[in-house]
This record gives sequence, C-alpha cells and structure tokens, in this order.
Amino acid sequence: MEIALLGNPNTGKTSLFNNLTGSYEYVGNWSGVTVEKKVGILKNSGARLIDLPGVYSLNPLSRDEGVVTQFLLTNEFDKMVNIVDASQLERNLHLTLQLIELGKPLIIGLNMIDVAQKRGIRINLEKLSERLGVSVAPVIARSGKGCDYLARLVTAEEKIPASTIPVDYGPEIEKSIRELEQMLAGYGQHSVRWLTIQLFEGNPYVKEHLLDYISSDQLDRFIEKTRCAVSQAHPGIKSLEQFIFKKRQAAIARLLEEATEKSEETGPPLSERIDQIVTNKWMGIPIFLLFMYLLFMLTFDWLGFPLSDALDAFISGPFTSGLEKVLIFVGAGEFIQSLILDGIVAGVGGVLVFVPQIFILFFFISLLEDSGYMARVALVMDRLMEGVGLNGKAFIPMVIGFGCNVPGIMAARTIETPRERLLTVLLTPLMSCSARLPVYALFVGAFFLHHKALIVLSIYVLGIVVALILAKIFSKTILKGETSLFVIELPPYRVPQLKTLTKSTWEKGKGFIKKAGTFIFAGSVFIWLLSNAGPGGLNVAMNESYLAMIGGIFAPLLEPLGFGNWQAGAALLTGFLAKEAVISTMNIIYFVPDEASLQGLLSNAFTPLAAYSFMVFILLYIPCLATVATIKKETSSYKWTIFASVYALGIAYLLSFLIYQGGKLLGLG
Amino acid sequence: MLEHLKAGEKAIIKDISAVNKLVKRRLLDFGITEGTEICMKCKMPFGGPFMLECYGQCVGIRRSDASDIKVERI
Repeated sequence: MEIALLGNPNTGKTSLFNNLTGSYEYVGNWSGVTVEKKVGILKNSGARLIDLPGVYSLNPLSRDEGVVTQFLLTNEFDKMVNIVDASQLERNLHLTLQLIELGKPLIIGLNMIDVAQKRGIRINLEKLSERLGVSVAPVIARSGKGCDYLARLVTAEEKIPASTIPVDYGPEIEKSIRELEQMLAGYGQHSVRWLTIQLFEGNPYVKEHLLDYISSDQLDRFIEKTRCAVSQAHPGIKSLEQFIFKKRQAAIARLLEEATEKSEETGPPLSERIDQIVTNKWMGIPIFLLFMYLLFMLTFDWLGFPLSDALDAFISGPFTSGLEKVLIFVGAGEFIQSLILDGIVAGVGGVLVFVPQIFILFFFISLLEDSGYMARVALVMDRLMEGVGLNGKAFIPMVIGFGCNVPGIMAARTIETPRERLLTVLLTPLMSCSARLPVYALFVGAFFLHHKALIVLSIYVLGIVVALILAKIFSKTILKGETSLFVIELPPYRVPQLKTLTKSTWEKGKGFIKKAGTFIFAGSVFIWLLSNAGPGGLNVAMNESYLAMIGGIFAPLLEPLGFGNWQAGAALLTGFLAKEAVISTMNIIYFVPDEASLQGLLSNAFTPLAAYSFMVFILLYIPCLATVATIKKETSSYKWTIFASVYALGIAYLLSFLIYQGGKLLGLG
Repeated sequence: MLEHLKAGEKAIIKDISAVNKLVKRRLLDFGITEGTEICMKCKMPFGGPFMLECYGQCVGIRRSDASDIKVERI
C-alpha cells in the first residue's frame, strides 16, 4: 500500500513521517525543509509512506511545490494523509478541500492542537470529521503522541469512503465540470472535478496533463467561456482563480463556524515577545552577528580546539603506538606497516580529529533550524540581499551551506523565481562548508595561534562577501531581468528539544564520519601508493614519486599565490574529490602521524601570509565533486555546472594572488 | 496604503489588485486578500521588509509590495 503525506509547509509532516516510519529525515522550523519526496516503510504494517514537500495549494509557484502536483498526477498511491495545523485551520483547509476533490481516500492528522488551545481555539473533532466526510485523528507530531492511532486508521483494511463533494462552486463552474467530463470521455485517471478546478486556478501541471487529451486551442476557449459566464453572473469577479478561492473560503468559514469555538486570547504569545527583540529594527543584524561570533568562538577556540587537540593526542599517541605493537606482533611486513600507519592512520585519523569541531558547528546550525530563527534571519537579511539582486530567502541555503553545500543547493528550491534560484545555486558553493573547516583549523593552529577564531571568521565572512559581490555582478550582466519576489512565513518559535537537536546534529555529522571511513580511507590508500611509487619503482623517495610529478605540474602556476610547491598542488587536486582530502594528503606527504607535528613542518613550507592565501584558495577554488553533481542535477545544465566550477577557480586565483602579492608589498611576507 | 501603518496599528485590506501577480498568489496562500485584518508588527530599517500578523501567523513582505496594498485603519 502506498500512502502520500501532504500538508501546508511547516506543519510537522516530516516529524510525523519520522515517528511513523522510525527513520530519520531532516526536520526544522521553517517553510521548505523538505524539498523532495522521501519514501519510508511504516513500522507496523510494511506500507510505504511518501513524505512530500509542504504546499499551501496544489497550484505550484516554486519548484519544491511542483514536486507535489507532479506526484499526484503521475504516481500511483492508495491513500492520502493530510497533516493539518490546528492553529491555522482556515489556511490549511484550503489544501484539504483540494485534496478531497481529488477523490482518493483521505485521513486528516490534526497537529498542534495545544498551540490552537493557547490561542483560544477549541475544535470539535467529530463535527469537523462529519462535515468533511473524512476521519480526523489528533496527533502531536513532535512527541509522537497519537501517531499509533493515526497509523492504525491509515492501514486499516476497511475501505475509507472517498468523501462527498465539499464545495459547491455555483452553476457556471458545475456546468463546466460536466462539459470537461464529456470532452474527456473514456479518460479514467483522475477526478475530472479536481482537474477542472485546478485548470481554472491556472495550475500549469494540470494544463500540461490535459494537453495530452485536448488541444491547446480548445482548452483555452473552454477556460475563456467559463470565465465570461462567471463574470457575467457575478459582477466584480476579475478572475476564475479569485472566484474559486472565494467559494472555498466561504465553505471553510461555514465549516469553522460549526466546528470551532473561539475564546479570548491570553496576552501576547511568547513568540511575539521574542520577536520584539530579535527582529528589532536596529538590533536584528547585530544579534545575528553576535550569534555567529559565539558559534565561531565555541567551534574554534573555547570548546572545539581543546577537544580536537585531545583527540589528536590520543590518535597519534596511544592509538598509533598500540596499533604498531599489534602490527609487529602479528608479523606484518614493512610495506603493510607503512601503508597502515603512514597511509591510513595519517590520512583518516588526520580528518577524524576534527570531528568535535564539526559537531559543534552542526549543533549550532541545527539550533538555528529548529528554533524558528532561520526565517527571521531571512527577513533581517532581505534588504541587503535585495541590493545585490537576490532575496532574503536565498540566505537560508547559504547558512545551510556552512554545514554542507549539497543540502544548501537543494534548499534553493524554495526560491520562487528561476533567476534567483539559479543565482543562489551558483553562489552557495562559496559558503565555507564543514569539510573545509579542518583545513582552516590545521593552518590557524600552525600560524595564527592567538587569533584562531578571528582568522577563521574572516575566511567565512570573505566567502559571504565574495558571494554578495558576485551576485551583484551576475545579476547586472549574465542573469538580468525578472522581478524579485519575497514573501516569507515566520513560524512561531519553539523551544528546541534536546532529543531533536542531538538527533539532527548526529545525522549531519554522521556523513562526515562515514566519508572518513570510506572515501577518505580509499583515497588515503591511493595517495600513499602514489607517494611511494614512482618511475623508479616502489619505495622511492617522496620527491621522486608519481604524486610529486603530478603535483609538480601545478606548482609553477601556484608560485605567485605563495604556495608553489608540489605538495600544495597535489593536496588541491585531491581536494576536488572531497575538501577533507586536502588534510589527508598533507598528512601523508609530510609523513607525520598527527596534527601537531604536521603544523611544525608546515611552518617551514609556508609563511603566515602564504598560509592565509592558501586558506582563501581552499575556500573558493572549486566546489567538491558531490557539489558539482548536485549543481548539475538542480540546474539540469552542463553550461551552468561548468560555469560554477570555472568562475570559482578564477575568483580564487585572483583573490589569493591579490592577498599574497599585496601582502608582500605591505611587508607582511 | 499599508506602508504608512505604524508598528502596532491594525487595518483591513481594501485593494490588493496592484500587487505583483506572484506576490499576490503567495499572500493568498497565507489567506491575505481583500477584507483580511492585518496588524503591522515591525518595520526593518533602511527600506527593509515589514512583518505583518494576520490570523495569528506572521508574514514578512517587502516595502515595495506593501506600497501597492490599499488598507483602511481600524
């Protein structure tokens, strides 16, 4: 059995999905967390549950909303579960009515009844269920309360009756529905009532679908005829879309009058009082910057750095010597010993020591997502973003990009206008992701011991500044036109639950550990082999190895940037596969098992100025392989994918050049 | 006009037809249309967006769009 999960944005669909299927998908407190359909298996019955992006109506404006309409039109499914936010019943029921018109069995999961009660709204569940002709199950998706009952309802064998007709759209539209039925004689796929109403609302996906059966001319004439009939009968109605909305609204108002009671509200909610501070006229941006500053101090200075140091001491000390003893004990040959200790332990261990810092960063990003602050950041940033031809919503993909660029680029789907979406996709890779963090941590530890957090913050800020400047340039040149659009829902604040936070931090960080165990592991073996083999055979001196030859090709090009050695060239090359690989490669090349001794060696190969130039280059030079693949998928264009990689390389070279040469002129070299 | 409301003032929307089509659709999704009661919550500085409240939900819109919405103070 296939069950589709639908509802307005930010009503808790994914929380419910996680509860019902026991899996974990990304949740957060803003509109547009889920941008793709996700499939899970129900715990008790084996039925397939399909989580879809949130939509306000089935007539889509943005790409993630299109996913839903496309799904309803083309996929087979047996039942629908509609999650409804009880505190926003009126708005939510617009979607519910459209789903009922679709004519498939539907069950409503009524979420956030507690929030509604606080707002003075009492809902009569029986009445609501009776009037809609649909079963209604109360749930609290965050805690999982009521989910079992909903699951039983959903999987119950007895057939849920497809409900009655919820809205009477008046004689003109009803007549048109019958007409379309005749035009579509023999068609048995979807409810014609639903198709007609969606067509009149201007749903492009439904129109496209109908074009398979009816010619474009005939369809346009049909719409125009109905519009004339409606506007004759109802003077003052300008469009069919508006007329249908009003009819629906009236039906909802009648329904709510019967099924809900409203009492006096109890003072301004906590959410509004918090908003008076964080979206304060003057304090909004400073508060956001303060939050970011705390994040960096904790990650790089106060907490993360000592933890990473301790882990490093453990891996390079007791762990390595223990492993060495074991290897000698089992009689491993020198080749194997070297491969494991100098290759794998150096490569993988060198990346793993940064796990504490990465988890702290992810914890803060999760906090931002779960509290409801994310949408406020978008609001506060909109003025700045408007100035460079973007809108505040583009800031959300960028903040997520600090964790990993891949979900950041996916998050751009919620941006309604194609131009701004493309621009955001192109610029998100400039956000310094967590995989680049180890490189900075290593270099600031070696060169800028007293200003660690500040130097790293400057790199992150540089990424944002370059992105904003390029946004301005691109929107003035290659991506002109189209008005920008910004309307955003600001969800109520919720106190983040520790359980959700730890889970969400772990799910993000897990990927990093997994990558270290697979990709970086294999990469380390490969790099170690390349660094030990050369034209002269195996076990050659490092400078005679294949790796030195390959890295050496790039060295002259990198000379003006301050790091013209083959080691840097080789590290940058592997960094394209995954940014952490830069660290693994350096650990192997410099033949050291731990971070501290690598930092010692680095200070011979780099000057502080060259080190900063190198960090800037790492920040910008190219999106990693996974990100490039995602850009290709999201833009479906080779041209833009190549552009995204090439412009980044150009900007990186230019900036590093300016920083190094400029710094030398100023006597910093 | 909506943009002339001060923070904390309430109004009823009278005419929304001059607003950009996409913005209008999105506002409709939130239930904001002619006849809706809204409350101005906050105005961001330097010509930044506004935060409105209607039916207990908060929505952010741009100042330029707000200047196309006719309202009546209550």
